[in-house]
Amino acid sequence: MTAPAAELRLVDADAPAPKPGSDVEDRILDAALVLVARWGVAKTALGDIAKAAGCSRATLYRAFPGGKQHLFLALGTRELATYRRGILDAIDAADELGDALTRALVVAARLLHDHDAAQFILEHEPELLLPFLGFHQVDLLYRETATAFGPRLERFLPAEQADRAAWAAEWAARLFITYLFNPHERRDLAVIDDTRTMVHTFVLPAFALATASPRTP
Amino acid sequence: MPDEPRDRILAATVVCLGRYGIAKTTVDDAAREAGLARATVYRYFPDGKEQLIAESITWAVAQFFRELAVAVADAPDFPTLVEQALTHAHRAVAEHVVLQKVLETEPERLLPQLTQSAPQVQAVLRDFLAAKLRDEDLLPGIDALEAGDWLARMGLSFILAEGRWDLTDPESVRRLVRTELLVSILQPAALTG
Repeated sequence: MTAPAAELRLVDADAPAPKPGSDVEDRILDAALVLVARWGVAKTALGDIAKAAGCSRATLYRAFPGGKQHLFLALGTRELATYRRGILDAIDAADELGDALTRALVVAARLLHDHDAAQFILEHEPELLLPFLGFHQVDLLYRETATAFGPRLERFLPAEQADRAAWAAEWAARLFITYLFNPHERRDLAVIDDTRTMVHTFVLPAFALATASPRTP
Repeated sequence: MPDEPRDRILAATVVCLGRYGIAKTTVDDAAREAGLARATVYRYFPDGKEQLIAESITWAVAQFFRELAVAVADAPDFPTLVEQALTHAHRAVAEHVVLQKVLETEPERLLPQLTQSAPQVQAVLRDFLAAKLRDEDLLPGIDALEAGDWLARMGLSFILAEGRWDLTDPESVRRLVRTELLVSILQPAALTG
């Protein structure tokens, strides 16, 4: 099951706005999501998905002619687009950089925490995440995060510091990944006070300096 | 080669991992490479191959950080220490023949093992950095242990992936350390040196 994942971009700045799938496609993907949350990707068979969605296998194959890989690629794309939109909305609702980074991190943590299928995979099928989170892949993830979220952070920085918006996004992505794989004994990114304290204590001072002296070396 | 049989076996196993990969390395290979009897290997690693592989990877990770500690031992001040650590670690990862080979051929076997040792690595690095930070002039309200935890996380993050920074370029590393990572922790006077 690594092939479809390899075509999936966790953060894809160039992705077209997701076109709404047909009702039947969405119903099938919703059913697949419930089954993955319970049994995982490997054990979820197309027949089970069709049954849960209340459609025939023929209908399922008409919607996803490529079979299981096609279906799970569509599911991953849909779920990631929703995830990305949730984070962008959080950034857009903020009024300064610290607030934007805090909101983005809290929403990213909560959406992931509440996503039962993602939680099952993290716990039981982490090998499915390797195409994203190996050494070289995580490097790509940081660059893509910077490209996808950086532009939305630019409005919080002085015009001559626009380039630092991408760095702010990368920094937040690093923070997210370290807390995901190496949880802190007491701090939790889903808790707004924890995240705000972290962002304000350790990230923002670097941006205050940049604002004060635009001619960084 | 290390003298203690245990270390000798672990070092030999790491050599075998680079040569044969994780799946194909056997207890016999490790014993032959270490110049010890198979029974000796089983005395130290009674659970056989699985235990041997897991412990050899943990040993290699520890070895990586032992060498890192040596590389930064003479740093004249804390910012320089962080700069040297990032530079050395980045190069050491890139030049680690066994790591790069196994990452390329068997990431699905290696990464879960590395992930398992991550909390331990994080804790050791945090305590190392916190001890150094206790001797530094910290900004008001900054706790050495919290700052050590933060720096350890960011350090590991950059060792794993440099992102948009070029860790082979001393000026880039200097900027990352002195105008980003340490700005929130040390007094400005300490960062200009």
